[in-house]
Amino acid sequence: MNPLLRRGWFDRFVMAALTLLALAWMAPLLWVLALSFKPNEFLLRHTDVFLAPPYTLANYLDILQTSQVFRWLGNSALVAGLQTVGVLVLSSLAGYGFARCEFPGRRWLFALVMFGLAVPAQSVFIPLHRLFSEWNLQNTIAGLALPGLAAPFGVYLMTQYFKAIPTELEEAAMLDNASRFKTFLTIILPLTLPAQATLGIFTFLACWNDYLWPLVIATQPDMYTLTRGLASTQTNFAQSEGLGFLMAQAVFAGVPALMLYLFFQRHLVTAVAGTGKS
Amino acid sequence: MKRLLICLSAALLAACGARTPEAGKTEITLMRFFGSCESQFGQVMKASEGIGECGIVTTLVNEFNATHPGIVVKTQIGEWGPYYDQLTARLVSKDIPTVAVMHESALGDYVRRKLVLPLDADFARVGIPVDDFTEHARKGTTFNGQTYALPFDTWAWLWHINTRLMKQAGLATANGEPVLPRSPEELLAQARQFKQKTGKPYFAWAVANETAANDRTFQTLVAQQGAALFAADGKSIHMQQPAVAKALSLMQTLYQEGHVRPNLDYAAANQAFLNGEAGVVVVGTWTIDQFLRESKKPDSPLQGGYAVRPFAQLFDKPAVFADGHSWALFKGGTTDAKGHEAALTFLKFVWERTAEWSRTGHLPVSKTVAQSEAFRALPQRESLAEITHTGASMPGNVPTQRNIELLIGEDVANLLLSGKPVAEVQASVEKRVNKALQKARR
Repeated sequence: MNPLLRRGWFDRFVMAALTLLALAWMAPLLWVLALSFKPNEFLLRHTDVFLAPPYTLANYLDILQTSQVFRWLGNSALVAGLQTVGVLVLSSLAGYGFARCEFPGRRWLFALVMFGLAVPAQSVFIPLHRLFSEWNLQNTIAGLALPGLAAPFGVYLMTQYFKAIPTELEEAAMLDNASRFKTFLTIILPLTLPAQATLGIFTFLACWNDYLWPLVIATQPDMYTLTRGLASTQTNFAQSEGLGFLMAQAVFAGVPALMLYLFFQRHLVTAVAGTGKS
Repeated sequence: MKRLLICLSAALLAACGARTPEAGKTEITLMRFFGSCESQFGQVMKASEGIGECGIVTTLVNEFNATHPGIVVKTQIGEWGPYYDQLTARLVSKDIPTVAVMHESALGDYVRRKLVLPLDADFARVGIPVDDFTEHARKGTTFNGQTYALPFDTWAWLWHINTRLMKQAGLATANGEPVLPRSPEELLAQARQFKQKTGKPYFAWAVANETAANDRTFQTLVAQQGAALFAADGKSIHMQQPAVAKALSLMQTLYQEGHVRPNLDYAAANQAFLNGEAGVVVVGTWTIDQFLRESKKPDSPLQGGYAVRPFAQLFDKPAVFADGHSWALFKGGTTDAKGHEAALTFLKFVWERTAEWSRTGHLPVSKTVAQSEAFRALPQRESLAEITHTGASMPGNVPTQRNIELLIGEDVANLLLSGKPVAEVQASVEKRVNKALQKARR
């Protein structure tokens, strides 16, 4: 018998509702995908056609023929990679410190870090931009990656995760003469892999999709990230023309992030579900 | 993991690879919008072969680089929306472009902050005749008697008309010319007749997710009544005047009676027009080229039935909202006299090809070109040439004009979409705009 049919009516109702919601959520994405394969001229008059012809690959070819698109892809990968590694290292160290180490002012310092969660990134843009300009970091990889290293969410996540790990594990390691750093690195840190994966994915995706900071800090085409570079190729006011090209850009920029998510999906679900503690 | 590290290392190497200027050439940077179309026009070396804004500006630079072996112009493309945020960010961080395209309505803010170079002496020296600038172009690029940019075009607020539907509504002459209204009453009568005969609304214009269209229609209607929206010193807006109330009331009546296709954004308004779902779309000069191309397609509802006219004169004075694109040189954009001369050489080159740019639909900024047979022979341009002297903009001394346009447009959208009373819109715009103007002056 079909497993679904063995379930109660309530479960089946929930499943049906979730399927409908998932379809509603996916509809715009599928629409974007469908439009990316339509000729721009055709879309001037018809944007409501989903699967009917005509089809074209011209929009994707136009992206690939934009001479700097692979450089932008490289810049995005590099900046997102550096930022992810940096956030993981800093958040793990800070989280462990807040969770396990006693030092004067710890609670106040933690509160101060958490205050960062309440400050919108946009509100510090102007001072941040001036600071980076003074340091001549405009149009550099460092200029693109460094601001993202301040990650209060990462510190919070890792602190909570470290707190949930039984202290007996560390005590046992220390009884065997392991130093605190060695205990952290070899015993405790590997246990936080699901949280690291979650934080890594969130950080990578946030950086990959970031548009606003690259907009002001990367002003030379050589230093554009993918989001910034693709946006610069939009061809006319308010995108009433070139809609297929715009949609192809969205798909092109989204595919690497989607692949990353699919690759680390298991860790993400595990950590969010809170079952990775053991 | 190993593969990931290899990929990251490769990307690092690629990203860190330094690019050096081409040997022996003077390099200047050109910041612009108009998009990127190098896949289509990257290898086209003649401006006369470019199509559309992006195609023409790309081929213009290609042609310059090909014909001036000692100079290389490097294009840096910014996108429309945040263009001025990015330009300002570049100026702050001293990463200054040599030449940048600017709307004339935005130029004043940069001139007041002493960021743009005056160009009269340079223009006289290299042979760009300021006297040949059209009236609107000259007004847009001159501040305190000094010229601060090379005008590139004048763009204006137009009625793009489906003459087939107008004919069906009985609003066309025997030879197919659309009959335009000459007063608000005539417009309402025409719109009612149009709806009755065709079952379609008279207008499509962007009312949702777009504030500029609402503002430009409103400013056109006020200017046609000869009223001054801003004080002579540009420090305040005066919304409490009959001309303002009349303009707003007309817009609201048109919308409430169903003569404007409801809830359309910019792209949807154009799409509705192209699909023959409205008689007139109110939008700028930049769509002329595109609509002309559509009107030649056999399956288009516009086929053989497209005309474009300046925004119909509904009050005493001929006036239509207009702005323009221009090229400005920034202080610090070049480090030496050679770079400055190269930039001027480029501007001269652009000036000499201003006729090419008018193929986009924008109006020429040279009197000679505007009066030339070649320009007037372009389709639909004959009736638009008057805008070069009837074009009305916000006065140059009004600061932060883009923001002011946004504030006015938001309240006019409320007037149309949610039926906000005219008096409330007048009070709200006055309060918000005056606050913004005070802030801009500090």
